[in-house]
Amino acid sequence: MIIQEGMSLQRKLEILSDAAKFDVACTSSGVDRKGTQNGIGNSVACGICHAFSADGRCISLLKVLFTNECIFDCKYCINRSSNDVVRTSFTPRELCELTIEFYRRNYIEGLFLSSGIMVSPNHTMELILEALRMLREDYHFNGYIHCKAIPGTDPALIEALGWYTDRMSINLEFPTAESLKNLAPHKNRKNILKPMRQVQLLRESNHEYLGIRDEGLLPYDGGHRDGGGLILGGGRTDTGDLIHVKGSHMDSGMLSGDSGHMGSSLIIDDGGRTGSGDIILNDGVRTGRKGLVPGDGGHTCQDLASPVEYKGGISLYKKPPIKRSRFVPAGQSTQLIIGATNESDYQIMSVSQALYDSFNLKRVFYSAFVNVNNDSTLPSTQDGPALLREHRLYQADFLLRFYGFRVSELLTEKSPNFNVFLDPKCDWAVRHLELFPVEVNKADYRTLLRVPGIGVNSARRIIAARKSAVLDFKDLKALGVVLKRAVYFITCGGRMMYPVKFNEDFITRELLASSGGTPSFIDKDITYRQLSLFDDVNFKPDEKFIIQRHSPV
Amino acid sequence: MGNTRVFVCENSIDGIFTAVYDAWSSGYGHNNVRIEEQCEKNSYSNMALFSDYIMVKTDFDKAVKVSRSVRAKISEEAYEMVCKAALSDCQGKGDLIYRFLILGFRMGAGIVNHLSNEVVNKVFKLNRNVNGEVHHFLGFIRFSEHENHVLTAVIHPRNNVLTLVTPHFADRLPNERFVIFDGNRNICSLHVPGKPWVIAEIPEADADDYRCRADDEYGKLWKTFFNSIAIKERTNLKLQRNNLPLRFRKDMTEFIPDKPISEL
Ligand code: SF4
Repeated sequence: MIIQEGMSLQRKLEILSDAAKFDVACTSSGVDRKGTQNGIGNSVACGICHAFSADGRCISLLKVLFTNECIFDCKYCINRSSNDVVRTSFTPRELCELTIEFYRRNYIEGLFLSSGIMVSPNHTMELILEALRMLREDYHFNGYIHCKAIPGTDPALIEALGWYTDRMSINLEFPTAESLKNLAPHKNRKNILKPMRQVQLLRESNHEYLGIRDEGLLPYDGGHRDGGGLILGGGRTDTGDLIHVKGSHMDSGMLSGDSGHMGSSLIIDDGGRTGSGDIILNDGVRTGRKGLVPGDGGHTCQDLASPVEYKGGISLYKKPPIKRSRFVPAGQSTQLIIGATNESDYQIMSVSQALYDSFNLKRVFYSAFVNVNNDSTLPSTQDGPALLREHRLYQADFLLRFYGFRVSELLTEKSPNFNVFLDPKCDWAVRHLELFPVEVNKADYRTLLRVPGIGVNSARRIIAARKSAVLDFKDLKALGVVLKRAVYFITCGGRMMYPVKFNEDFITRELLASSGGTPSFIDKDITYRQLSLFDDVNFKPDEKFIIQRHSPV
Repeated sequence: MGNTRVFVCENSIDGIFTAVYDAWSSGYGHNNVRIEEQCEKNSYSNMALFSDYIMVKTDFDKAVKVSRSVRAKISEEAYEMVCKAALSDCQGKGDLIYRFLILGFRMGAGIVNHLSNEVVNKVFKLNRNVNGEVHHFLGFIRFSEHENHVLTAVIHPRNNVLTLVTPHFADRLPNERFVIFDGNRNICSLHVPGKPWVIAEIPEADADDYRCRADDEYGKLWKTFFNSIAIKERTNLKLQRNNLPLRFRKDMTEFIPDKPISEL
């Protein structure tokens, strides 16, 4: 391994940011925190983009590795131990100064710290913990911190970390345990899911302690996100697809497996059907609230939810949480690599849904695979990464989180991949013409959300605006509805805008002809936003996007 | 029908509110009056022939009266909307605000949702535009450090957003002395630890005095980071341009060449 001593900070930053660039950071911090008298920094829930790099992606955090040394040998990763690359690490102090000085100049919202594994997971996590502690306690940094946890780290360290970071994430990497084993031989599912569950439980008990209720994912109508209750167009339910998933399901059916059942195949599906050859998101981690986490150490979940002592060495971090402080306030996220293995979109989305349902994750990120090591056992990405696929997954992810959709409505085992030409919502709508058109002046929020061309913001505005007037098509335009798509699916005062012949082919053709139809990602001429059906596909706060779409008055 | 009376006022919240007060209490009737804020775009060349022009002298007391009754009789939200509209660079906003308030005093708090009304919708759009620009600047403002740790930044906003962006930085950087300079209006906001921030007019100032310094070490480190964080395989300058329009870049550290062009 090449380790250079006395490397300049500039060079270190170059190496350690380059090695971190594939990690997806989110701009929406989810935490609102005022500044403090003696400190520096605050946090804004909607998130702030500070810059956009040449790939068009948002930069909001100082995204770096703590070290690019690594004892693991994951095939897809530039830092794998078998690669002959220059290795370096920050010192905790260097990292603190960089963060503070960047933050003062308003380059960043905070820090996104990931890392290779130096010596051991615990050793690395201790250094990271020290850096974050310094940043918070010595430098009084009150801005946003997102920290990756390394699988296999002692639960006590994970817990200590959780009091310093706003968001924690542990990368799931691949939808199936098998792919993980093939591509990341030193990692295993259990070591990933276990800390995820631990953080979830600790957050819950912290919330209980502080009397905070975790907000539901589907905003505006009280956070019910069960597909079963969904009624479109006054009374019709599509019972075939929309099987009710109750909260209680989380404790039993989904994702669970008996502890003895290593690798047993319980599929993640709305119906809770079991079958073999399906997606396994479980290597024996019992997901019941009170169950045992088998294997390592035998902490019960209850143990996991109460402070644990770290027996590894330093005693510095044993101290109980400061009263009223919050544990991982911005929640957890994870990342999946797309296109390095051959799972279908259906498998991927089912995993995401399970993570939202049972692990209460805030975000699942999808990262189109780039074969950085030119590894011949992995797919070539010479023609560019699978950006369109990644984009469709993000669209579908939005449908799950904000639009009340279930995966089983969008994909099935028989047609397991997204339509290249139509985005998932249009695709769903043309397959369900029997539910349309809906009356804009009457339909409830969830029904409006299902109309192509109506997003979260425009649906809210419709509901607000129709209180004082009966809405017509021209009003909808002013409210930010993309009429080009919506016209086929709505009526205003019982009337459609054009006499449209209602058949799937016709509408599909029309949708494809409109700009939102055929994405030509290959020539990169079309932007994410143009492609998008949603008001807020780019995880931005309320109004921003509409402003750009409709030219200012 | 008599001539329209045009109340010409200063281009500021207080100016427009004073005009609202004067126009309202003039007794000419809403249909016979118009408010026009003074700005470069509104030159005398487009003066209408059959109008009487009345110059409004900004009166702080009158403005306060208007804002007080908007807050009490309509709502805080409506008040905020009107203020933001007044800060926008839209020509004709003064009269728009007047029409909005006529309607607001009649409808009450519900007016903010009455988006199918043309006036309300316009005010709403102005708000979106102002909010959007404010949000951009929260991210795109770049400070650089000068002697004695003073931080300075330059912006060239379309709307008059300085009063809207400064509170964010005052909260975020309570222990910093900083200056944000609006190069389009030659005004700046100043913050000193422990004191409320203020807005000052500096007609003679030169934006270059506040701009990013080439010798700021962390500016160089930031450029390094900015370049290495991009994924080459995903290069998409069009997307970058959509997300970060060119007009912001001349004031942003990462887009300013290391040396002035003349020295290259
Ligand atoms: S653990 Fe694997 S993915 Fe993480 S840095 Fe090491 S080699 Fe890369």
